[in-house]
Amino acid sequence: MGRRKKIVQECEKLMDKPEQIRNIAIAAHVDHGKTTLSDNLLAGAGMISDATAGQQLAMDTKEDEQERGITIDAANVSMTHEWEDENHLINLIDTPGHVDFGGDVTRAMRAVDGALVVVDAVEGAMPQTETVLRQALREGVKPALFINKVDRLINELQEGPQEMQERLLDVITDVNELIRGMTEEKDYDWTVSVDEGTVAFGSALYKWGVSIPSMEETGISFGDIIDMEESGNRDELHDRTPLSDVVLDMVAEHFPDPLDAQPRRVPTIWRGDAESELAEQMRLVDDEGEVVFMSTDISMDPHAGEIATGRLFSGTLEKGQELYVSGTAGKNRIQSVGIFMGDSREEVSRVPAGNIAAVTGLRDAIAGSTVSSVEMTPFESIEHISEPVITKSVEATNMDDLPKLIQTLQQVAKEDPTIRVEINEDTGEHLISGQGELHLEVITQRIRDNQGIPVHTGEPIVVYREQPQEKSREVEGVSPNRHNKFYITAEPMDQDIVDSIKLGEVAMDMPELERREALQEAGMDKDTSQNVEHIFGTNILIDDTKGIQHLNETMELVIEGLEEALDDGPLAAEPVQGTLLRLHDARLHEDTIHRGPAQVIPAVREAVHRSLIDANIKLLEPIQNVRIDVASDYMGSASGEIQGRRGRVDDMYQEGDLMVIEGIAPVEEMIGFSSDIRSATEGRASWNTENAGFRVLSDSLQRDKIMEIRERKGMKLELSPAIDYI
Amino acid sequence: MLTFIGLGLYDEQSITVEGREALRSADRAFAEFYTSKLIGTTVDALSKHHGVDVEVRDRAGVEQDADEILDAAEEGETVFLTAGDTMISTTHVDLRLRAHERGIETEIVHGVTAQSAASGLTGLQNYRFGKATTLPFPYAHGADGTPQSVIDTIEDNRERGLHTLVYLDIKVGYERAGVDAADEYMTADFAAREFARDWDEDALGVVVARAGSPEPVVAADRLSALSEREFGDPLQMLIVPAELHDLEAEALEAFGEAPADVIEDNLY
Repeated sequence: MGRRKKIVQECEKLMDKPEQIRNIAIAAHVDHGKTTLSDNLLAGAGMISDATAGQQLAMDTKEDEQERGITIDAANVSMTHEWEDENHLINLIDTPGHVDFGGDVTRAMRAVDGALVVVDAVEGAMPQTETVLRQALREGVKPALFINKVDRLINELQEGPQEMQERLLDVITDVNELIRGMTEEKDYDWTVSVDEGTVAFGSALYKWGVSIPSMEETGISFGDIIDMEESGNRDELHDRTPLSDVVLDMVAEHFPDPLDAQPRRVPTIWRGDAESELAEQMRLVDDEGEVVFMSTDISMDPHAGEIATGRLFSGTLEKGQELYVSGTAGKNRIQSVGIFMGDSREEVSRVPAGNIAAVTGLRDAIAGSTVSSVEMTPFESIEHISEPVITKSVEATNMDDLPKLIQTLQQVAKEDPTIRVEINEDTGEHLISGQGELHLEVITQRIRDNQGIPVHTGEPIVVYREQPQEKSREVEGVSPNRHNKFYITAEPMDQDIVDSIKLGEVAMDMPELERREALQEAGMDKDTSQNVEHIFGTNILIDDTKGIQHLNETMELVIEGLEEALDDGPLAAEPVQGTLLRLHDARLHEDTIHRGPAQVIPAVREAVHRSLIDANIKLLEPIQNVRIDVASDYMGSASGEIQGRRGRVDDMYQEGDLMVIEGIAPVEEMIGFSSDIRSATEGRASWNTENAGFRVLSDSLQRDKIMEIRERKGMKLELSPAIDYI
Repeated sequence: MLTFIGLGLYDEQSITVEGREALRSADRAFAEFYTSKLIGTTVDALSKHHGVDVEVRDRAGVEQDADEILDAAEEGETVFLTAGDTMISTTHVDLRLRAHERGIETEIVHGVTAQSAASGLTGLQNYRFGKATTLPFPYAHGADGTPQSVIDTIEDNRERGLHTLVYLDIKVGYERAGVDAADEYMTADFAAREFARDWDEDALGVVVARAGSPEPVVAADRLSALSEREFGDPLQMLIVPAELHDLEAEALEAFGEAPADVIEDNLY
């Protein structure tokens, strides 16, 4: 029997013992060494050869990942580890660190209970470290810290034990400060601590690691480590204190098992009735309860078809089960269940509650679906804070490939909800929007290589937004037959309310009472919160009318008109955001036929657009936080790269022997930044960007930009007289 | 001058003599057939029969771009044609008001409307009709099932002892997802099925099909029974009567072949 087969059998045995299961994710800033660490853990479990760990990047299973040297998709693997004489099943998800793929990280966090946060000892906590910590803590996932690349402190920076310990303590202090800030309102302390053993140090590249408990056990001190590193005795170091044992011990000891985690996590991620039997089954990880599965990832297997990976909160998954998929009608039949072993999936006969499972046959599931044996309140939608900021057009080179391309694009949107796809069957020019240049580049490359569809893509285009700046007067929208009229106002919404919507704290699919309370907490007055009729994007429609006959059965059409108007704003047909709209009054025709879609939709659309215009609507552009680490000689040229891009430098400070420059710049101007900064600093800068929302475009650029977009979209170049002041 | 002319119920013969004279002497003739239609003829045949060029406008051409019609009316004798009567269920008062605002003189030549056929063919007294309503296709309105306002109309009428004339939806060149643009006419059996499911399957219904044609059909029965029959070509409508007066009952038995037990249940 192969080693692999043995591990699968061992895993199957452990699946039924929740107290011996740990579901964990590894997350970090890009290039801090997550995937190399994962390899160590796999090698420790005997799943890849010890010698190749670190070079193999087994979790980067796609060719483009190995080529680019970064992880793009979250990858899953199950392994076993013995701790305190008991074998443990460890279900691990390796997540991407590059900012463009943040959506994968958020989704992975839903499936796990513990997050191993990896930080580079030399670079310290970086912007993405903060982001992944926030993603973990919001999901109720407990963090532990691994400080990687300690070998560089010894070999490159020539630090002694004292300096080294100080530096490591600094990293820990920084990380703890972040954790404390994010858990202020919680009643538990999740800061990490060297003494408690929730921090480990080491080198994933050279495969050694230590923690206070391990140092006590092995008797190895920092001094010993420095000696062995300096004398090149790394193999001995690895033999005496292997990284995988240290980290997996930490995982087994300090991360919660599902029995401990689920009672705490279920109320955070599920809004259903806490008193129900279903809630109890989920809290108890009841493998005999109803099946409740949340898919966190959809991937495509050429043989098996779509594979849904996710966390099973209760019940037992078995082949042949017929399950409901949230948001769709009917049931899907499970074709197979399995667990992931690196690049391959191993089928097993059943997977019980508390585990991460890979399921085929759930054709209606998307990343984020709730899949269950009874109809139930779905899990909170997994909120990823970043909205798409860049769009690219994709066209099939051969017309014959068109149907296949459309199918592939729909698949792409299913797998990655942070991608938005707009199919235009008339022009054949489809649009995909994502988190950044790299994000889109990877997607289009996969369409080319994996699907073998030759495509050409347009230049990346920035996604804009439109938002009113003040409160409008009451305006009228009239239907084409003039028998129906709608009276609407628009105003910008408080940022606190917008944030609550983005974080999923306020949604239409939650119980009305809870939604009201959440809105009031975010600052909305009581009367308004009671009249919320619809939430679309970050916009809210309030129905302030009283007793208008037939409005009820017309409301669906009102909402349709509203959504059309907000999808294509009045300035440049870009999406409208952060707007509170109030319907004050309506006049409707007596007969349904004279207040059908052809009448109501245009009337509402007109009213919404006119109110937005009266509310002084402006064009917004996406901006990014930019951080550049650069040798001080090149500080001037580096900060010039921000300032020359309509950007703003907010802070410059020394960190170690490098200067750090922090600022913001518009996404549009950041296209092509990577090659410019490289040449401006002769390759001596490392940088990081993070999408930071939208900002009103300066007045002097409004008109030109609006016209540019309208021209690109083939719209009329005359603005309606009411907004021609811009 | 803008003259609104009702073309009547069925074909090019259904127009009144007064309407025919006005149509034949017009400089321009516009028509719309999205609210109703002459089933027994075509636009070409209509044009040929009257020796005028009938210009058909779609909904946008009437509601949004009415200027062409109004410009013509400013310059010469212009007529605007619809099936039935231009002002009853087709509600073209808006166009007349726009003409009035521009100082254009207007005139109306009445046509025979479905409302008069509903009384005439069935024997149900016109004094006893309440508010009329239209049953839209399920895909064309926001609500699920039968719109509540339609059911409310029927029930309110019946409470006051009044019959309800239910017009059945017509879609001309209507585009929707997954279906090519086409003309669609709701049939009375479909409407009976909707009402039987969402309201009362035992209630009495009266179908009137192809009113104004040489062979109109009238059929009175329970909604559940009507829903299983077929009434042939459009246009069709459905009447939901209140309790019947003796003569009304007799007429439904005689002209609508209503089963005796059904009539029995619906007498005063």
